[in-house]
Amino acid sequence: MIGFRTRWAVFLRAFSIQGSFNYRTLIGAGFAFALLPALRRLYGNEGLDAVVARHSRLFNSHPYLAPMAVAAVLRMEEAEDAESVVERFKMAVRGSLGTLGDRIIWAGWRPVCLLAALALALLGARWWVVVGAFLVVYNAGHLAVRVAAFRMGDRWGRDVGERLRRLPLGPTQQVLAAAGAFLTGVVLTLVVAWGPVPPAGRGEWMEGPGWVLAAAAAAGLGVRFKSALGGPVVLVLLGFVALGIALGI
Amino acid sequence: MIWVAIILLGGVVALDATSFPQVMVSRPLVAGTLTGVIIGHPVEGFVIGAALEVFALGVLPFGAARYPEAGTAVVAATMAWHAAENGGVAGGPGILMLALVFALGWERVGGSTITAMRRWNERLVARDVPLGAAALERRHLTALSLDFLRGALLTGVGALVGWPLLALAGAHWGLATGTTAGVLRAAVALMLGAALTVFGGWTERHWPFLFGIAAGAALVLFA
Repeated sequence: MIGFRTRWAVFLRAFSIQGSFNYRTLIGAGFAFALLPALRRLYGNEGLDAVVARHSRLFNSHPYLAPMAVAAVLRMEEAEDAESVVERFKMAVRGSLGTLGDRIIWAGWRPVCLLAALALALLGARWWVVVGAFLVVYNAGHLAVRVAAFRMGDRWGRDVGERLRRLPLGPTQQVLAAAGAFLTGVVLTLVVAWGPVPPAGRGEWMEGPGWVLAAAAAAGLGVRFKSALGGPVVLVLLGFVALGIALGI
Repeated sequence: MIWVAIILLGGVVALDATSFPQVMVSRPLVAGTLTGVIIGHPVEGFVIGAALEVFALGVLPFGAARYPEAGTAVVAATMAWHAAENGGVAGGPGILMLALVFALGWERVGGSTITAMRRWNERLVARDVPLGAAALERRHLTALSLDFLRGALLTGVGALVGWPLLALAGAHWGLATGTTAGVLRAAVALMLGAALTVFGGWTERHWPFLFGIAAGAALVLFA
């Protein structure tokens, strides 16, 4: 049996699961690193290297949901499931845990929290309130996801995929996306009207209505052409830098 | 002492971005502010970080995607800004634009070092001959340490490169303050518009986006 302390060690190690990310096995080595305290308990020195080699093969997942796969595999190793069953499980979950986390965390929770922080800043909240609120709120969600993922994996083992399908993850993603679009609209309007600085620094940002219209038009271009404009915008800014220096000389 | 603290912060920020523990101190908004606190100008660090944050919003680290590293870039740019201002360069939107443009360039350098680091990790932990338990543990921790060192070095070099560039460009800045501020406002607005694509774009999310614009307009009118 694997005790609480070993499980806790595995959970903590999963925070560094991407520590040796590479293009060949992705987070495979990190997966084995996280699982190692449990594998040491189960295998002692006999056969440990072989099982570590097996678990450090190709694996990928969103880092916050990886504890689910790690805990489920821990459970399966504890139950002495066959190697082929464990491998099939890892292969089955690696795509879905990646996609799920990307959609809900990277393209949902994180930008929503950041946009809310930017809105707070533009409305005049102090810098430490904005940064503090962002870190506390974001990480409350982050840690809750990690803990819940680990507990689910530990409880349901190889059936965790089936349990995962029963959760209302689609509606959660839809709500986060709608909240993100709403906050994008709020922050965009504040930036167009007031400039991209908090109220205390706005004295130098009174450029006149022409620039407000230009910013509104630029926002429209951004919505229309999306991230394809990222590179050209940097080039245009570089052009303005060159112009600024040329005018100064 | 400040330089040492900034370099160490760069290491922590680089580590947090991917390797450990991803609590988002690596976000430009947070990393810029922390740099500002170290140099004694938290508001300025916060403003540079917030501006770069808008550019970083649309960058999503899906799978094994390659992307620029905004965290270390904002630490380097804010330190360079501070050093240039200490050298007598006037503050305001001009130097902010220079710091932002430098950070946008340096984050690409940072991105290429991440790619190189991941290739190096292949040699470290993904060899043809499987590693034993002790070796894997040691090499995983080595990879984490190297990522920290990469970030520290990247930040230190970035600040040292950015400092004279910002000092030189800031000393010869000839664009009117209003024009500089207007260009920055338009650039940030454009990138915010582009960030809508993160949530599904105009076709899928035009209603919440329009409600957001209405709410923002109400805030502008009544706040």
